[in-house]
Amino acid sequence: MTERPLIRAPLRARVGEWFEMAPVLAGQAVLWAGPPLLGLALFLGLWQWGHLTYGAFILPSPMQTLRAAFGVLTSVEGWVILGATILRVMIALTLSAVLGGGLGLLAGYGWFLRAMLAPVATILLGIPATAWVILTMIWFGPSHGAILFTMAIVTGPILYIGTVDAVLTRDRRLEDMAASFGAGRFERFRRVALRQILATLAPVLGITLALGFKVAIMAELVSNVAGIGAALAKSRAHMDIDMALAYVALAVMGLLAVEHGIIRPMQRRAGQWRRIGS
Amino acid sequence: MSGMTLATISHALAGRKVLDTVSLVVRPGEMVALVGPSGCGKSTLASVAAGILRPDKGRVLRQYKRHGMVFQQSRLLPWADARENIAFPLIVGGMAKREALARAEAAAEAVALLPEDLGKMPDQLSGGMRARVAIARALSIEPDFLIFDEPFAALDPALRRRLQDLVLELGEVRGFGGLFITHDLSEAARIADAIAVMERKGKGILGRLTPPGTRGMRSDDTIFAFVQDALYAETLLTDLVNVDERAVPLDCACDSLGPRRCC
Ligand SMILES: Nc1ncnc2c1ncn2[C@@H]1O[C@H](COP(=O)(O)OP(=O)(O)O)[C@@H](O)[C@H]1O
Ligand SMILES: [Mg+2]
Repeated sequence: MTERPLIRAPLRARVGEWFEMAPVLAGQAVLWAGPPLLGLALFLGLWQWGHLTYGAFILPSPMQTLRAAFGVLTSVEGWVILGATILRVMIALTLSAVLGGGLGLLAGYGWFLRAMLAPVATILLGIPATAWVILTMIWFGPSHGAILFTMAIVTGPILYIGTVDAVLTRDRRLEDMAASFGAGRFERFRRVALRQILATLAPVLGITLALGFKVAIMAELVSNVAGIGAALAKSRAHMDIDMALAYVALAVMGLLAVEHGIIRPMQRRAGQWRRIGS
Repeated sequence: MSGMTLATISHALAGRKVLDTVSLVVRPGEMVALVGPSGCGKSTLASVAAGILRPDKGRVLRQYKRHGMVFQQSRLLPWADARENIAFPLIVGGMAKREALARAEAAAEAVALLPEDLGKMPDQLSGGMRARVAIARALSIEPDFLIFDEPFAALDPALRRRLQDLVLELGEVRGFGGLFITHDLSEAARIADAIAVMERKGKGILGRLTPPGTRGMRSDDTIFAFVQDALYAETLLTDLVNVDERAVPLDCACDSLGPRRCC
C-alpha cells in the first residue's frame, strides 16, 4: 500500500516538499487521467456531432440527456422507478447468494455433490440471459416473480461456481495452523476458512451485482413491469428519446458506481491478502 | 518436565507412504532437533506430533500439558494484525477477546516486539518480525512443549542466529522442551540437546547424535567441528541402512560422535 510520510512531517517541510514534488505529481496526474479524459471528450464530441447532424428527435444532446437524468433523480416518480429496479436486484441477489452460495459451500466441501452439480452448473451457465427472460415470460407471465426468477437463475450459478472455487483454493495451511492450537472442525471453518472464502467471493459478488442490474433492466423492458427497463419501454412508446437516454445514462452511472465503489475495492483487498498468503 | 514419544508412526498422503514406522523420543525437558533431506517427511511427522494429522498407524504419547507450534513461513492470518494473530490460539481456546489481546501483549514483549508493531498487518512486517509474531503466538498459550517446523529457513543468517538465540533464551526462562525441525545441521547443533537424523523417504530415524556440551553453551568452533563430523557420520549411517533396508529403531543415544552406527 502507498505510504504517506509527508503527513507526519512538520508543516513547513511538508509544503516545501509539496512544491518540489508538484510538477512531478502534476505530470503523473496528467498521464493517469489524461488519456481516459481525452477518450471521454471524444465520445461526447461524437455524440454532440450526431445530435447536430440528426436533430434532437433522433439523438438528444449530452446536455439534454444530463438534464433529463437530473429530472429523474429529483422527482419522486423517478426514484420509484429506480427504487423498483434496485430493490429487485437486492432481493434477487440475496436469493441467489443464499442458494448458489449455500450449495457452493456444501459442494466445495463434498466431492459427491460437487461432481453431481458440475454438469448442471455448466448447462445453466451456458443458457443466455435473454433465453431466461423469454422462458420465464412464457412460464410466469409478466410479473415481479418472473423477473426475480430470471435474475436469480442467471446469477446463482456464477455465485455457485465462485463459492466452490473459493472453498477449493483456500489456504489450508492456515487451518492446519489453527488445528495445531486445538481448533476443531467448526472453529477452523468459522475463524479461518470462511474469512478466506468471503474474501475470494467478494469480487464475484460485485460482478454478479452488475450482471443482475443488466438482466433486471432487460427483463423489465421485455415484461414491462415497473423499473428502469419498463421506463425505457414507455419512453420508446412515447417516442420520448430524452427520457430513454436519461435512463440509459443512469444505468451506466449506476454500473460505474458498482464497479468503482464495490468491485474494484473488493478486488484490491482480496489481492492484498493473496500476496502474503504464503 | 515435558516430553513426547512418537512410536512406530506410519502415514500415507495421497496414497503414498510418507512415514514408514518412524519413531522418535523427546525426553522430558529435552529439545530434540530433527534433521533430514527435504521431502523426507519431517513436516508430516511434525503434523502428527502437533495433532494436526492422525497417523494411519502408530501412537503419540504426550507427557506435557500444552504444545505450541511455529511453522515454516509463519502462517499468520493475513486479515488480522500482529496482536490479533498472537491472541488467536487463546481465542480458539475460548478466552474472551479482550483478555486474549491483553495476554498477547505480554507474549509479544517476550519476543521483543515493539508495541507499535502490534497494530501492523502481516504484510507490513518484515520476515524476521513475522517469525517473532509466530513465536509469540505459540507462546501465548504458555506451552510447556514447543514444535518448530523450519521456522527460520527463509531468513538471512544473521537474523536466523538472533532468533535462534531468542529461542534458546526463552527455553531457558520458560523451561520448555520440544522438537525443532530444520535442515540446517549447525542450527540443530546450536539449538538442541540431541539431533535425530531422518532418512530419505521417511523410512525412519537413522540415529541420534549428541553434540558435545549443553544446548545454548556450545561455541561456534564446537558446532563447526561437530557438523563436519556429523556430515561424515550421516553418509556412513545412510550406507549402513541401505545395506539391510531397515530403519534403525529409535532413541539410541550416541554418546560420542563417530562414523559408527548407534545402538
Ligand atoms: N498433502 C500432501 N499430499 C500428498 N503428498 C504430500 C502432502 N504433503 C506432503 N506430501 C509429500 O510427502 C513427502 C514428505 O513431505 P514433508 O513432510 O513436507 O517433507 P519435509 O518437511 O521433510 O520436507 C513429500 O514427498 C511430499 O511431496
Ligand atoms: Mg517441511
